[in-house]
Amino acid sequence: MSYTQRETPVLAELCTFLVQDHYGELAGRVYSILARYGRQSLQQMVRNSYLNRRQVSLGLATLVQTHVIFHSSAVAPLSIYEIDWQQSYNLVRLGKVVKLVEDRFGKNASTVIGNLLEHGHTRIGDLKSALFPPQEQDDEDDEVVNGTGKRKRSNGTANGVNGVNGTSNGATDADADAESGSLKTVEEYYDAVETLMRNGWVMKVEPTQYLGPGDYHQIAEDRARQELWGGDNPSGTKAKKELTSHTLRHKRATRDAWSECPQFVPRKSKEQANKRVKVNGANGWAAGGDDGAFSSKLEELPIRVNPEKIAVAMRTEQLVRLVEQRLGYITARIYQVMLQSIETEIARCFEEWPEPIDLSDIERNGAVPPTLHLVTAHDVERQTKDLDICEGLDPHAVSKITGHHLDKSANLEDPVDPSTLGHHERLQLVHAHIELLSKDPFHFVTWHSRAGHSQWHVEFDGIAKNLIQQEIENTVSARKPQFGLKLIRALQRKGKLDERQACIAMMMSANDIRGVVNDLTVQGFVQTQEIPKVERREAKHSLHLIWYDRQRAREKLLHDTYKGMIRILQRIAWEKEKVQVVLSKAERTDVVGKEVKYLQSDELIQLNKWKNSEEKLLLQLAREDDLVAVLRDFYGPLISA
Amino acid sequence: MASASTGPKTEDVPMVDATHRIDELYEQCASRDAGTIFFQRDLSGMQVAESVEELLALVNSLCSQQLMKMMVFDNEPCWKVRPRREAEKLRTLTADEGMVYTHIDLAQAEGVWSKALRAKTNFTQAVLTKCLKALESKDLVQSVMSVKHPNRKMYLLKTLKPSEDIAGGLWQSNGDFDMGMIDEISQIIARKIEVDTCIRVPASWNNYAPEDRGAAIAQKKAQVMGVRDIEEAPAVRPYRPPVHAGSARLVHKDKPHYATSSSMAAWLNAAEVLKGRVARDEDMEQLLEMMVLDGRLEKVSAINYRTALNMSDAKVYNGFVDAPCGTCPVFDLCADEGAISARACVYFGEWLGTDSEEIY
Repeated sequence: MSYTQRETPVLAELCTFLVQDHYGELAGRVYSILARYGRQSLQQMVRNSYLNRRQVSLGLATLVQTHVIFHSSAVAPLSIYEIDWQQSYNLVRLGKVVKLVEDRFGKNASTVIGNLLEHGHTRIGDLKSALFPPQEQDDEDDEVVNGTGKRKRSNGTANGVNGVNGTSNGATDADADAESGSLKTVEEYYDAVETLMRNGWVMKVEPTQYLGPGDYHQIAEDRARQELWGGDNPSGTKAKKELTSHTLRHKRATRDAWSECPQFVPRKSKEQANKRVKVNGANGWAAGGDDGAFSSKLEELPIRVNPEKIAVAMRTEQLVRLVEQRLGYITARIYQVMLQSIETEIARCFEEWPEPIDLSDIERNGAVPPTLHLVTAHDVERQTKDLDICEGLDPHAVSKITGHHLDKSANLEDPVDPSTLGHHERLQLVHAHIELLSKDPFHFVTWHSRAGHSQWHVEFDGIAKNLIQQEIENTVSARKPQFGLKLIRALQRKGKLDERQACIAMMMSANDIRGVVNDLTVQGFVQTQEIPKVERREAKHSLHLIWYDRQRAREKLLHDTYKGMIRILQRIAWEKEKVQVVLSKAERTDVVGKEVKYLQSDELIQLNKWKNSEEKLLLQLAREDDLVAVLRDFYGPLISA
Repeated sequence: MASASTGPKTEDVPMVDATHRIDELYEQCASRDAGTIFFQRDLSGMQVAESVEELLALVNSLCSQQLMKMMVFDNEPCWKVRPRREAEKLRTLTADEGMVYTHIDLAQAEGVWSKALRAKTNFTQAVLTKCLKALESKDLVQSVMSVKHPNRKMYLLKTLKPSEDIAGGLWQSNGDFDMGMIDEISQIIARKIEVDTCIRVPASWNNYAPEDRGAAIAQKKAQVMGVRDIEEAPAVRPYRPPVHAGSARLVHKDKPHYATSSSMAAWLNAAEVLKGRVARDEDMEQLLEMMVLDGRLEKVSAINYRTALNMSDAKVYNGFVDAPCGTCPVFDLCADEGAISARACVYFGEWLGTDSEEIY
């Protein structure tokens, strides 16, 4: 079974909550049938629930549209439905995704992403007409100087955008953003879609995307078999190996084709229009006629958000946060610039279907170097003009680069204003920051060549493993501040230890260690093992080892985090339940916006309190989601430590 | 046993009585560095005896008086002198005690386990215990608890220092880690490494005046032209993070001297913090590794260490443990409903400052 499709009861519960929250009760109930009974057909679902066929189909339609379930109609006459756990879990991230896109590509793009997330997928043309309904053509825009037939978004679209009932979960924020979004012209909309597709955030919708991992594997294997052996089953280990490798190749090829960018016709008016925006503050897509729009074929193209890209962006954020903690704010910003500049080239955090490593092949052809994503200090320098790049460095280094002298207590005698520095000095300062990054034990960047002053790449796999370890250590150190962390680290470095070796590594007496080992074993982070030395398994004559497995600890922590998220969602529900009366009053259409006027003072206090706790809980939920991303999305299964 | 190369040099010396010769030989040997091992050629080179035969006779009588100890090295006999006082004590031993003593002596600093001793000597437990007691009371042997096998009693000569294997290294005393000393020394080491690899930067080290020429020009221009052109907006000031309000903080040095176990051992020994004891590289490596586990140091490469810095003041863990669930003692018992659930959770109530459902 695919690694990402292994579900736990806890994840099933969490996802059911999320689906119910986002897509309403019917969809939630249908989803929970699938969660409870696994892969099944429509018929079976009806039998397994108190819902009738019509209700189940309705629910399924919503779920399919939003991609939270797989179905096999592309390959089999009878559709079988199955939950896509990754995608359903992603519901918790909707707000975050919108924010990530906004930081990278601006408000316009985030509006598009917000809509795509809420709808699952849509045709480019359909989303356009939802955002810019054609019936309001003659709407005049006052704010613009030369509004030549420019179309303004009207409130009427709001319903179209909000087709699905989003509730409390961050997605509402996304919608709110979308409402006030700056997407003003169709031209801007097309630009946003094109940017997102070029950067891999948005991809085409293909029927194969709806296949569960089992079906997907089946068609890939069938195709490989067809190609190599004319549909027969190969025999012999070598042939079987070849089949596996071919199947994986097919899997990758099909997947890579999804995110292939369609041919965007260079839109003639684009350049001019952009200039005109600057000069006149308006652009005429209507005046420009068809040359400003996508071709009709492209309009028909259904698109969706690429879930793999979300993890890539989240990894960037997570790493930047870590650097900020370890090396300071400015260095973190520089790292952010570096990571974001290579983000476009990185399609995913890890390859789910990697080519199996063939040792003889490596001997013959030499190891194939992995494609590196490079970034130069020069590029970074150009993008960090607004940073105080002297900060966070050793004053001696700054003094050497800028030629300003230091006094005894490491103060610059003649302060350096970073905005007045020349290109070369700035380059050296940036380089000094990057050096800090590379010297860190995490090895955030790795030197590659001298191109562009210095060229660097990032070894994500190693960093991702260390990130996982770091989060496990964080958790342990929060629970057992003194010795737990020390024990975990000792075991991670030295492997299995018996009590005496552990004592020597930690330089502590055995009595101090025993308690910690017990607690951590109960929590599931550390395991103990007994190896008999003699035939009779006597405790006296056995080795008693303590060991730690990163993969086990990772899964345990992931499981606990899912459970913690459920508890937060449940707590939100409880907090809401308590103020339900006030809330229903505050949500009345005549009260909204005039709360102070209509609500009594104690109601207002209750309302504020609820808002505060909801905010706090949602923030914590988002942070737990960050942890899930670290533990689950940045690195595949750790086969061995 | 005389080898041809070192023929005894006979000299015409008036006959002195044998005891005198014995004393002379003993004094000559004892005047060398303690623990020197003498081969036959060394002894004959002292020119005490007339002939090889006499020399052998002298050595034999020294051995029988326990003043010398015979050993074999590379199939060649060799001897070592014992202090007179020790020899006197040895002469008082019974045969059994002497045998036990020889076995203990053989093990040297490694020590010998009492059970192994019994196997070697074939004594009964009672006899052995008696012998060992006698030896201990005569201050000839000592017993040490092994660190490797905490329930084994190891015997070794009183004059010897127990080896690492049984007594533990520098950081252990009486088989247990000397926590007080470890804490002290690690603090000293941490301070030293911090000075070597980090630098304390005062908050106002680069206090440049926010002289905003660009903005001034833009403003002037705007005034003159009467309109504010969007492309001539004032340049954005470099953002300065407000993380270090007024306090100095540590940053990594530009050209740091990373610590290694040997450099730190040398430094510590030169500073003479450990009264009379010497930290070897292995001891220091053990300490430094332990400090890495503690999170006080971090490893930059295979042998280099530096101070681990944390830039943010507040310790941030992760989303899970910062929420009440992460450190909840009854997390595993927590269910969707019931007495322990999110609705009735006291920890959530405390954290949010709200009321939880009361379940009786």
